[in-house]
Amino acid sequence: MPVKKWKLEKGANCYNCGDATIHDIEVDEFDIKIRCRDCGFSRYYTFHLVDLPRK
Amino acid sequence: MKVHLRVFVEIENLGKAMNALVEAGITGFYILEYKGMSPQDWKGFSIKEDPKSAIGLIQDYATDAVLVCSVVEEEKTDKIVESVMQTLEGEKYTILEVPIRRIIVNNKDLEKERAETWLLEKEVPCFYCGENSVQRIRIDMNKAKIWCTNCGATRYYLIKGVEKEVS
Repeated sequence: MPVKKWKLEKGANCYNCGDATIHDIEVDEFDIKIRCRDCGFSRYYTFHLVDLPRK
Repeated sequence: MKVHLRVFVEIENLGKAMNALVEAGITGFYILEYKGMSPQDWKGFSIKEDPKSAIGLIQDYATDAVLVCSVVEEEKTDKIVESVMQTLEGEKYTILEVPIRRIIVNNKDLEKERAETWLLEKEVPCFYCGENSVQRIRIDMNKAKIWCTNCGATRYYLIKGVEKEVS
C-alpha cells in the first residue's frame, strides 16, 4: 500500500539555533525530513526496517 | 549555614507535619514513603536470611511512614522544629538536623534539552492494516519510529545526515 506524504509541524527548541521555533516535518515512505523554519537547519532520516504484526 | 531537616512521621500524621512545616516557613521539600521499624519493635528479632522471609517480615511488621525533607536556613531551624513538635505532640516522630557543607545545583543541559524526544500523531489509513487509525511518530536525535496504534506495524528510520542552510 503506497504511503502518502505527511506534513506535520512541531514547536520545539531548534538543535542548531536554540530558538523555540516551528519545525516542518515531512514523512515520506522512505524518508523523514525535519526543517527548522527559522534557521533552515534540516535533519534527514532514512527508512531502516519494518516490524509487522503477526496476522 | 544551611541544614537538611528530616522529619520522620507515621503516614497518618503527614498532613499535620506538612502544615506545621509550611506554617513555620519552609519553601521547598520532598517526601519519601518508607516502611520502618523502631528499635523497640525490632528488638529480639532474628530473621531467616532468604530474601522472601526478610521482605515478608518487613511487609508484615513494619509501619508505613513518611520522611519529609527540606533544606532550611540554620537560624530558622529551631522555629520550624518547635512548630513541628507542638503540632505533633503525643504522636510518634523523629527529627534529624543535618548540617550541609555545600550545595551544588546544576541546571538541565541546554544541548540535552534541545535533543529531546518528540512525539506526534497523525490519523491516516495504516500502510499495513489499512484502518484509519492514529499513527504515532517518535523522533529522537538519531532515529525515528512510526507505528500504527491499531495493528502495531512499525517503521524504523535512522538519521542519514543534517544540513545547515548558509544565510
